[in-house]
Amino acid sequence: MKKTFKLIDLDCANCAAKMETAVKKIPGVKDATVSFMTQKMTIEAEDAQFDQVVKEAVAACKKVEPDCEVVVK
Amino acid sequence: MTKRQKKNLYRILIAAVLMVVLHFVPLEGVAKGVLYLIPYLVVGGDILKKAVQGIGNGQLMDENFLMAVATVGAMILGEYSEGVAVMLFYQVGELFQSYAVGKSRQSISALMDIRPDSANLEKEDGSLEVVDPEDVPVGSVIVIKPGEKVPLDGQILEGDSFLDTSALTGESVPRRASAGDEVISGCINQSGLLRVRTTKEFGESTVAKILDLVENSSMKKAKAENFITRFARWYTPAVCIGALVLAILPPLVLGGGFGTWIFRALTFLVISCPCALVISIPLSFFGGIGGASRCGILVKGANYLEALASTGVVVFDKTGTLTRGVFQVSRVHPSQFAEEELLECAALAESYSSHPISQSLRSAAKKNLDKSRVSEVQELAGRGVKALVDGRPVAAGNLKLMEELGLQVTPCEECQGGTVVHVAVDGVYAGHILISDQVKPGAKEAIAGLKAAGVKKTVMLTGDAKDVADRVAAQLGLDEVHSELLPADKVEWVEKLLEQKPKDQKLAFVGDGINDAPVLSRADLGIAMGALGSDAAIEAADVVLMDDDPAKIALAMRISRKCRRIVHQNIVFALAVKAACLILGAIGIANMWAAIFADVGVMVLAVLNATRMLSKKV
Repeated sequence: MKKTFKLIDLDCANCAAKMETAVKKIPGVKDATVSFMTQKMTIEAEDAQFDQVVKEAVAACKKVEPDCEVVVK
Repeated sequence: MTKRQKKNLYRILIAAVLMVVLHFVPLEGVAKGVLYLIPYLVVGGDILKKAVQGIGNGQLMDENFLMAVATVGAMILGEYSEGVAVMLFYQVGELFQSYAVGKSRQSISALMDIRPDSANLEKEDGSLEVVDPEDVPVGSVIVIKPGEKVPLDGQILEGDSFLDTSALTGESVPRRASAGDEVISGCINQSGLLRVRTTKEFGESTVAKILDLVENSSMKKAKAENFITRFARWYTPAVCIGALVLAILPPLVLGGGFGTWIFRALTFLVISCPCALVISIPLSFFGGIGGASRCGILVKGANYLEALASTGVVVFDKTGTLTRGVFQVSRVHPSQFAEEELLECAALAESYSSHPISQSLRSAAKKNLDKSRVSEVQELAGRGVKALVDGRPVAAGNLKLMEELGLQVTPCEECQGGTVVHVAVDGVYAGHILISDQVKPGAKEAIAGLKAAGVKKTVMLTGDAKDVADRVAAQLGLDEVHSELLPADKVEWVEKLLEQKPKDQKLAFVGDGINDAPVLSRADLGIAMGALGSDAAIEAADVVLMDDDPAKIALAMRISRKCRRIVHQNIVFALAVKAACLILGAIGIANMWAAIFADVGVMVLAVLNATRMLSKKV
């Protein structure tokens, strides 16, 4: 499954790159991109693990940039 | 400005006022330090907090931490105003970055925003309801008023109007649309009221496809962007280690106080923040993709824009790409009669035929043809027709037909590369008419434009006969032509050309997206043209030209080269300024102020440079 999330208050391009690296390292993530320009994050992971992966990804992003909020619908 | 940006602005202003006031307070020593702590905490409190959080989260090298160490260090060394000022300017820079980048991001996004907001759905009783385009089922009737965007693809039931397709194609001349015509979502209805039966759901419509493509384009990152993020990953730690060395080694070796050297090391920490470097690259590519899309060129990713810039070989499909794919009368050579007379004669004789050749004769004759002038029509399969026109026997067809009539015809030198219709009237040879596929206007200039943009080799692949293909190639000035190919042969040829080309060059294939999906995906870069409304082409290609103007290929190349230039400028400029600051900082010429100004300055210039991509001039 592949899903895109909106990022609010992502103010720094380097943080975006760091988030991308951090999310890619989460077990179960096939691919992830964080686009600073569109302020969006795309995560590709197995369906079964997806919710867990998203939770971990949100936590990982918070660690990198506490100000930035991931909108999980 | 967002709420957060406003809040930061107020904090900066308050701190700045406090700084000015403190400048006139005659206090020294610790008391002064304590007073300066007030503006410092006002402007930099959140940075300190985030730095502490960062350590807890294992983010040792983030900007907050670096800035905190640098400014706290300055305060401890007794450089109070310096410490506060650096924090102040860092925040100004951050604010500006967030504002400027946000603004340019918005303006680029606005450029690509072709999403229709609503649709006027016609209900059974004839009344209109304004609904979300996503809620309109296939086959319903919608009404599009003048000035509104076409919300969904469909077919016009009623009405006459001009459609502005510029948001999709970059073409400013409006298209005429009337009952029976297909309309494509994203166009703007300019003049008349249209009633349209929808043929697609919103998710499947052209505008949704394009939006999806554009949204995802920045997810495919260019090599240059990956390079700079990798670079940033070791740049920051390296500079920090450099700072540590600078703080410890020189005072031990050269003797003297630690103070100056620690101060210089703190300057290093300020310079080590990588954001100005990292931001300029995606912004430039994003601008490039935005600038291209306003010209009707959709690029599916920054990586493709990058590849386009290093394209050395361009392979073309012939029909529909370089030629119009419609047959037209291109030459009339009468042996007797005037040109129009010969044409009219042939058109009348063929007036009952539905063969494409007959149709092009009829459309070339232009006049209303009175079919009652024609009688005793005989269609001769594989040869042509015989008929009585105004009572005179007329024969129109190929050489074989002329031979059967016992007429000697010498093949015409000029009339090659198409189908020749010979005409005999009253048993006497009257002349011939050449019907051929027409080279698109501007195709020759487009090829020349590609050469000027740096393309080394242009190749045409076609299924057509050799003489036709050679003639077109010569006319357009192509370097290579391979004719009489089956679709599978085209893939083979592209593979051969891929092997032949130098490694640093990319091969682009340009097709119309019909039947050439395998070739489009096999080439380094697949360019589909005339893709407006063709889903298959939008899927298969990497670069999509919304209309079928061959000049757009050269334009796309120029845009990509300009983008690459800007990216290179930004990389070199940012690196050079950082390097200069490091050197000047190490020998004590540049202090923290200079370092922070350099950082903000580089970022501003990089952002401004990237926004050049939005101008229409290439």
